[in-house]
Amino acid sequence: MKTNDLILQTVSKIILFVIILFSIHLFFAGHYHPGGGFVGGLMTSGAIVLLLLAFDIKTVGKILPVDYKKLIGIGLLFSVGTGLGALVVDLPFLTHVFGYVNLPILGKTSLHTAVLFDTGVFLLVIGVTMTIIQTIGESE
Amino acid sequence: MAFQILLNFILAFIWMFLQGSYDPAAFFVGYLLGLLIIYTFRRFFKSRFYVHRVTAVLNLLYIFMRELVLSNIAVLKLILKPQLDIKPGIFALPTDLTEDWEITILANLITLTPGTLVVDVSADNKILYVHAMDIDDAEQSIKSIKDSFEVAIMEVSR
Repeated sequence: MKTNDLILQTVSKIILFVIILFSIHLFFAGHYHPGGGFVGGLMTSGAIVLLLLAFDIKTVGKILPVDYKKLIGIGLLFSVGTGLGALVVDLPFLTHVFGYVNLPILGKTSLHTAVLFDTGVFLLVIGVTMTIIQTIGESE
Repeated sequence: MAFQILLNFILAFIWMFLQGSYDPAAFFVGYLLGLLIIYTFRRFFKSRFYVHRVTAVLNLLYIFMRELVLSNIAVLKLILKPQLDIKPGIFALPTDLTEDWEITILANLITLTPGTLVVDVSADNKILYVHAMDIDDAEQSIKSIKDSFEVAIMEVSR
């Protein structure tokens, strides 16, 4: 019997955005507070899994036409790229630098190359989680 | 569209609560992140991504300003001309716009165009009666109005 998922779908439409925003908060909190790329990426894929639960796999594919396998590659490139960037300026592999920059609206902001490494982790975790779940979900 | 803007604002406020800082910079960052998330999920909504409509409104505003300047220059040229060789007249302009505010904006834009002026709107809101300063080619002016203004207004409301 096909049940009507109206309430689940409507609620997940709103909650989805809040979860993703919270995952981004976790991602940026990583340096000074608990959080980071891994848990942020897991939570983002958790939001997409909520979409998969509320809708079907085809609808989600239409909403987010992302090839998650490619996301793994992009994430790895980010992480390796930050490591290699240190070699270019004659420092050991994976040496990170940071500095303070005055941005127009945001004021004094500290920027750290570890964020780029974390972005790689973030994308990789989303890619791996979603690939696993989609592969299991699609097989009959 | 209004729903997307409201959602964007709510996301910006949630971001401020998560960060625990209540300055405009935090709101700005939250708004940008919300915009990014809404853009990623733009196929989720029935209406278009709302930034498209914002740019359409800005485009309409630009057309409005440009026509205002051009019409004044055109009228100035006509006044300063020594001989009066114009052929005034009134023609009917069928419009596809349906909403009241769309017709109002179209009428105002036509009035600001060089040499044309809306006199009346028909009872069923289908035809605008336009007074032209120089009615040599009514067909031509109907076409140019339809192409530029009507398209720009539809871009906003569609």
